Order: sequence, then structure tokens, then C-alpha cells
Amino acid sequence: MDGATIEDGEMKLFERKQAIYKSLDEKYLVHGQRYKGQQYSQIYFARLHHLRNLLHSLVTKWKPHLEVITVLGLEESRECVIVGTIYKHMKLKPCILDEYSKERTAVPLVKPHNFLHPDDQLILEDEIGRVKLRGSLLNPTDFVTGIGLALHGMKTIEGDFLVQDLLEAGFPPQTKLPRLGEDKYVVFVSGLNVGSNIFNPLQFQLFVDHVTGHLGGDNEQKMTSQIVRVVIAGNSVIIPHSVLNGQALTPEDQRKLTEPIKEVDILLTQLAAAVPLDIMPGPTDPANSFLPQQPLHRCLFPGASSYNTFFSCTNPHQFELDGFQFLGTSGQNIDDLDKYSSAQTKLEFVERTLRWRHLAPTAPNTLVVNVYTHVIRAAQVELK
Amino acid sequence: MASSDIKDFFRQKKRGVSKKPSSSSRKNSGKSSIGTICLPEPTDTPALIAHGKFDLQDFKGDGDEKLRQFDMEMRYGPCVGLSRLERWERACSMGLNSPPEIGNLLRSLSGSNPKLECLWEGRV
Repeated sequence: MDGATIEDGEMKLFERKQAIYKSLDEKYLVHGQRYKGQQYSQIYFARLHHLRNLLHSLVTKWKPHLEVITVLGLEESRECVIVGTIYKHMKLKPCILDEYSKERTAVPLVKPHNFLHPDDQLILEDEIGRVKLRGSLLNPTDFVTGIGLALHGMKTIEGDFLVQDLLEAGFPPQTKLPRLGEDKYVVFVSGLNVGSNIFNPLQFQLFVDHVTGHLGGDNEQKMTSQIVRVVIAGNSVIIPHSVLNGQALTPEDQRKLTEPIKEVDILLTQLAAAVPLDIMPGPTDPANSFLPQQPLHRCLFPGASSYNTFFSCTNPHQFELDGFQFLGTSGQNIDDLDKYSSAQTKLEFVERTLRWRHLAPTAPNTLVVNVYTHVIRAAQVELK
Repeated sequence: MASSDIKDFFRQKKRGVSKKPSSSSRKNSGKSSIGTICLPEPTDTPALIAHGKFDLQDFKGDGDEKLRQFDMEMRYGPCVGLSRLERWERACSMGLNSPPEIGNLLRSLSGSNPKLECLWEGRV
């Protein structure tokens, strides 16, 4: 934990800074719940309820002169506000029923990265009804299924809703950030991809050496001593798909399966010995595929898990360091947003999830998610 | 041969279902050679019921009517996939003014009572 350097006969010892860590992952753990027939409709009901309560309180300040009505209560040419969940009807969205349809005209041969199409339409739903949205204010490429919105407009003769203004849940009120006397750093790493041909062991070793303080002169070591935590945000291993086809494995294939995770363990042992470490599962890691992903098992890391600085965490991962709240995912929610909407940068998607006050709005529509009741409530995080 | 009696190999009546005068018979053909077709009573054919927990007694009583109304109430969300008590408790925690007598009724029932599950449990 200390970096030492010998310079002109003096030994300089830098002590790593400490920070008080509190894990808030409890709500993402599944605790052995079993599937008893729970349904996804419950997720949408709970989501609509919470976002509607929130939006109702905001609408009174936004358009105090207008009435909030349900979708079925819409009257022609009467200005009003409606609140509900967005559904985006996408022409190119892959549908299991396409395999059974006799005509295959709409299905392109090459799978696009992004399923947007100029004909995509937005629809607003509440528990009882839905209405098509029209108007130039709403650009379908900016929205996805599952967002809660309040819309001001009026019903047209055709029965659609002409949108004049919209209100998102918006950024939540922030708690005041605590003051720290000194600089402390958290390092976020992801996509190590050990086991694939893009992994560079030298690069990772350099990184480990840097964080543990074995590199550089005084200035660098002073800076690395300010690193209080390292968080590995998913995709640490890639297991080649050839071994995952369900057939019996030859000894060589078995080695291909276990080598990557063993290598990760060796490297993480070095890190855990020096700095508190959190590891989150990602889409390619050996964890369950639906969100929230459960922590990677301790037996995968026999070396690193013997250190009390090693923490295996859920995805999404939420924790508190010295009073600062952190919340992050391994990116499945953002990647899914990228498939069904467009933005200039990925950071814009993250900003949108904050404004929509929902970590993963496309779940359970296109993002695989767990159905257990208490976990449903946790997955609709009110970002603070 | 035309003279062979079809009643030998073509049964006119279903095995095991007796002719009941009280059951509704939709077809009363003038020809006596064709037997009356009767609707089977619910208690006769348990194989048709997916669950086997069906009991006519369940549909009697005011409490069941109230529970079914609770299932159908859209305000508390969809009823499938959740036990009635769980749905009631969720409605309480969301502040949806769920009537307390339903909660008391559900809590007073024993563990395996079919009234604890929603109307479509096991049938959907």
C-alpha cells in the first residue's frame, strides 16, 4: 500500500489515502427468489405509478391552468395534459414473429447496428388506453419505449394527440455534496476482455503497477497514493463462443474456458493487495444475463477474494465513498438505448437516463430484466 | 352393408355421462335413434379444469365477490402473477387506498386456500 522511493539516500513513503466505503447494493441482490409466475406487466404498472406521481406534482407548476386527464378522457380540440409511458413502434425492431411470417420483405439481410427507421411512431400509454402522438416537437429518434412523460396538447380529428409541449421528470434535487479537505480519486476500468485477442497483458500490468505505486517518480507516486478505490465495470473476461455450444469439452476447450478467469484472478490479486477493489459483472462475464446481474462468485477469484479489500458487486452497482454517492452500470442499458434511439455521444444517453429518472427505460421491452417483485422496485432507481 | 346397425360401432351416448333431466340439452332431435347430447356438469369432468382446485363452493359467498372485484380493479394494477395479499400490500405501500377489510380477509385465510391467489392463477 505504500510507494517508496530512494532518492539521495532518503526514503520517501507515501501512504494511500483512505475513504469510508458503504455498499448500497442490497436492493439489487436476488436472495434466491424463485419464479412463481410473476409477470412483466407489474414492472410497467409500478413504473407508471411512480413516474406519474412525480409528474403530477411537476405539472401543477408547469401548466397550472391546464387539467390533467387520462388517455380515455381525451376530447377533441380541448387543450389538456396527459401523463403516461411512451411506447415506440419500430418497423425494424426484431420480432420473434417475423420467423413465422410468410412474407419476409421488411427484414433486411444484414442486421443493422441500430433499428431506427423514419417511419417509427411514438404512442403514449397509461393503464387503460393509448394514443398516437403527432407533432414536430417529438422526434422519435430521441425517445425509447418505457419513458414516463407529461404531454401538453390536444386530440385531433383523426384521434391522434397533437403534442404542443412536453415535460420530462427532469433531474432530481441534489443533496449537498460534502466537502473534502483533500483530493481523492476513484479509478474506473472496464472492458479488459481477457481471453480475447485484443487483450494486452503488458498494458494491464503497467496499469496495475501504476495504481500500486511501483512506477514513476515522486510526483506520480503522490498522485497514485490519492487513489482510494478501483472499480472494474464489467467485461473482464471473454469466453470464446466455440466452447459455449453445449457440447462436451475436450481438455483443450476446458483450458480455454478457465484460463481467462484464472489470468484475471492473478492480476486482481496484485491490485487487491494494494487498493480496495470492486468488480462488477458485464455482458460477457460469467454471471446471469438479466439485469440486475448478481455478483461474480468468490470461487472464481481464489487469490483475490482472500483479501478483505476485494468486493464482488452487482451490476448496477451503487455505493457511497466519504458521503459521495456513486451509481453505475456495466453499460447494457446504454448499449440498448443506442440500438433504439440516437444521440451524438454515449454520454448523452447517460444524461437522458438522468432526465428521465430511469436507469434502464428499455427494460423489460428489449433489455432482459429480472421479474422478482422487490427487485423490480429496486431497478427503477430514482437517481439522486 | 346398408342393413348393418350403426349403433354397434357408433356409440350414441358418451361413456360415463348419464342422461340428466335437469341438465340443459341443446339438441332435441325428433329421431329417437340419436341420443340426447348433454352438457357435462362441472363436477363430472375434472380433466377439463387445468388446476383441479375448482370448487363450486368458492363462488358462493360475499367475501369471494369482494375479492374478485379487488382483482378486477384497474387502480391496483394487473392481478396476474401476484398473490392477492402481495397485491394488496403493494397497493397499501403505494398509497392507493386499498380497503382494509380485504386485507383482513386475506390475512385470516390459511396457507393453501385458493382464495389467496388471483382469479386466473393456474389457468392462464
